[in-house]
Amino acid sequence: MPNFASKSHLFLLIAVVVIVVGAVLAAVPGGLRLGMDFQGGLLLALVPNEGITRADVQSKLSDLGYSQAADAVQETGDGKFLIRTKDMSEEKQQELKDGLAEVGTIDPNESGYVNAAVATQTARNAAIATSVAVVLMLVYITWAFRKVPHSFRYGTAVVVALVFNLVVTMGIFSILGRLVGWEVDPMFITALLAIIGYSVNDSIVVLDRIRENKARGIGGDYDGMVNFSIQETLVRSLNTSITTVLAILAVYLIVGGSIRSFLMALFIGVVAGAYSSIFVAGQLLVMWEHGEWIKLIPGASRLQRNKA
Amino acid sequence: MMRSRLTRRRPRFGGNSWLLLLILAVLGVSIWVMTPSGSNVLHRDRENLGLTLGLDLQGGISLGYEAQFPEDTPDTDKAGLMKTTADRIRKRVDAYGVTEPVVQIQGGDRIIVQLPGMTDRAQAQGLIQQTAFLEFREIETNGSSAATLKDYLDGNRTSFFNSSVSGTRVFAHAVGAGEATPSVAIVRTTDNNTLEYLDGNGNPLDPATLEDSDKAAYSWMPGVGTVDGEVMALTGGNLTKAEATVNTDQVGSSEIAVDIEFNSAGASIFDEIAVRDQPKTSPLNMCGIFLDNQPVSTPTFQTSSFGGKAQITGNFEWNAAKLLAAQLKAGQLPVELKLIYEPRTVSATLGADFTRRAFQAILVGLLVVGIFMILYYRLPGVVSATALVMYTVIVLAIYKLIPVTLTLAGIAGFIVSLGMAVDANVLIFERMKEELRAGRTMKAAIDAGFSRAWPAIRDSNITTWIACIILYWFGSSVMASSVVMGFALTLAIGVGVSMFSAIAITRTALLLFFSGTSAAKRLAWFGVESRPGVGAKDA
Repeated sequence: MPNFASKSHLFLLIAVVVIVVGAVLAAVPGGLRLGMDFQGGLLLALVPNEGITRADVQSKLSDLGYSQAADAVQETGDGKFLIRTKDMSEEKQQELKDGLAEVGTIDPNESGYVNAAVATQTARNAAIATSVAVVLMLVYITWAFRKVPHSFRYGTAVVVALVFNLVVTMGIFSILGRLVGWEVDPMFITALLAIIGYSVNDSIVVLDRIRENKARGIGGDYDGMVNFSIQETLVRSLNTSITTVLAILAVYLIVGGSIRSFLMALFIGVVAGAYSSIFVAGQLLVMWEHGEWIKLIPGASRLQRNKA
Repeated sequence: MMRSRLTRRRPRFGGNSWLLLLILAVLGVSIWVMTPSGSNVLHRDRENLGLTLGLDLQGGISLGYEAQFPEDTPDTDKAGLMKTTADRIRKRVDAYGVTEPVVQIQGGDRIIVQLPGMTDRAQAQGLIQQTAFLEFREIETNGSSAATLKDYLDGNRTSFFNSSVSGTRVFAHAVGAGEATPSVAIVRTTDNNTLEYLDGNGNPLDPATLEDSDKAAYSWMPGVGTVDGEVMALTGGNLTKAEATVNTDQVGSSEIAVDIEFNSAGASIFDEIAVRDQPKTSPLNMCGIFLDNQPVSTPTFQTSSFGGKAQITGNFEWNAAKLLAAQLKAGQLPVELKLIYEPRTVSATLGADFTRRAFQAILVGLLVVGIFMILYYRLPGVVSATALVMYTVIVLAIYKLIPVTLTLAGIAGFIVSLGMAVDANVLIFERMKEELRAGRTMKAAIDAGFSRAWPAIRDSNITTWIACIILYWFGSSVMASSVVMGFALTLAIGVGVSMFSAIAITRTALLLFFSGTSAAKRLAWFGVESRPGVGAKDA
């Protein structure tokens, strides 16, 4: 069995790097593309007139003063064009629709509109709700582990693993957003919520084993005990992840690509969850126990040793 | 053999037998709830197992509106106005025949409307937003003949021909056999005693630019009558009933119409107009029915005494007649509504047979997970796969009984809870295997497996519940509420049942069937490779 605890600083360093890179990817504009529900806007599905090409639609949009929208015109499988603009007044919306009437007809059933203020409120409420939920989870886990010394660390470990999973998912989605234009829609948020559920479950299983082994005095010193606990739960962590991935795969094959971004997010989250339950949550406890945060900086510990 | 085993063991496992009975009862009720049958009790005769499907699964339109209160509206009045608005929208939607619509007030000034099964957005928006101001008009006279727009223009009029009737004049042709043509122009008086011409949308218009044929349009003035000494116009507010109907004549050809009934004031005004106009020559004997200044129908008075009942005919499509009836009946909305949320429906992207495939996906997902569990955990895997099937049936029955509106996000919540149910089993079996390797007896291993796995299951499930409660609370405050709330609700229910499934079903089944039986001696059936003693290798 591999010794996980001895490399805890390395694993944590990887986690920190991944979190930072993911957060930067998500934060840099053009990465994580917010969909209509989270920034507001107008979506028009244009059924082109006979002989109208994508270029025609684009030049029409540019003429009307929507050069940004023109660049982002998307063609659907059934020959329609999806046009997205920012939120604007009803008059301007009508102007745009009237202008587009020269190149095609708008299919109202595949179009949509979200007011910018509503979208902002949705995004803000989502952030508030997630924060409140995370704080309450932290409080509950700290209470549930109250018989273990420093139970607050266990709650923190769960939250850090959770943040890791979410940031990895958002980071990879930022890359996908750049590459293939995937957007953050309510389904993606649902996937993030599902990842929170899984990730909490994953971390608690590992920490519960640490709690139990600590109480029973198994596994020697703290590092050894954490290491032993991770080894013991390894099979379970992998099995649960494998069964979940299998289920996601089944849904992907049958339901198909229409909810692929949701399934992809779920897949990334589950894989990240398997990693973080093994390499993040427990390792954080070990680092915290020793207080050797300096080890997180590569080479720093060697320098220190050399000095001594 | 099975029966003799059970009878022999019953005294030893009295508590478990009761638990088994409870499980069977819950399962039996759940199966009964979910079994399709001809009976309409619990909607068992409906499609999709009688589950309530959300808009994204069954198709439909979701719209969000913000009320545009005039600035001087006191805050105390707003709640009442919102309630009236929501009630009227509900009435219109009901009258149109949408099944199980949702009309929900959110915050102080927003209304969410969900119309399952409706597919035409333009029609849906018309149904809700249109203030539908209905008026009955009659043709204004210029001397003894009908006044037209041409008469107004040629005479350079600065006032109406019939100065005794105030209100606007709408210039429109009579509605012929074909479709109604839109109004040509509207004219109203201004403060400085001139006339101002507008087009059908209320924008200023220069009538001189119109074609001669347009100028021939009649001038329609409000149809008025005197009630209790007061001159009143006949409007939609005087209606008590409006209903789409089909007339069949003697030849057997049918015509779609809208039956209307007036309140007593309306009945009296309508008869007064009829008495006045019916004896006149065409076109002055016509009654103009206008909706938001557009002619809907211009029937000729066939009698001078209606007694408060009339019928509007006008080459209606069935849907158009229903729409008109709904708009007439619900009357005007007390506040203006602005559309603020109209998401692209998921079903538009997912396609019609999505629901079927979603159900299939769940089945195949269950199958794959079950096979994996059996291959890896052998005999306990069989038990857990069976428990998962029972779990699914019970959860679906609860979804149906509450009832939970199943959305795509709700299915996601269900899948996550399914994952947690599997995980609970995995946790228990891993613990059990460890105990077996350490040389415990089967019963001790099962008991220890459960009691040692329990804290982890409990803590992770309670933590998930906390998240669900917060999400549910937050979900009610956003427009995309069905997504978040659906997810939180299905997940919370699923997690609750998964604890029952792991602790009650799996545990009871393992104890009843394997403890103290010959199966207990075959450790390979439990995925344990060898006899006791080797278990120490992990330590």
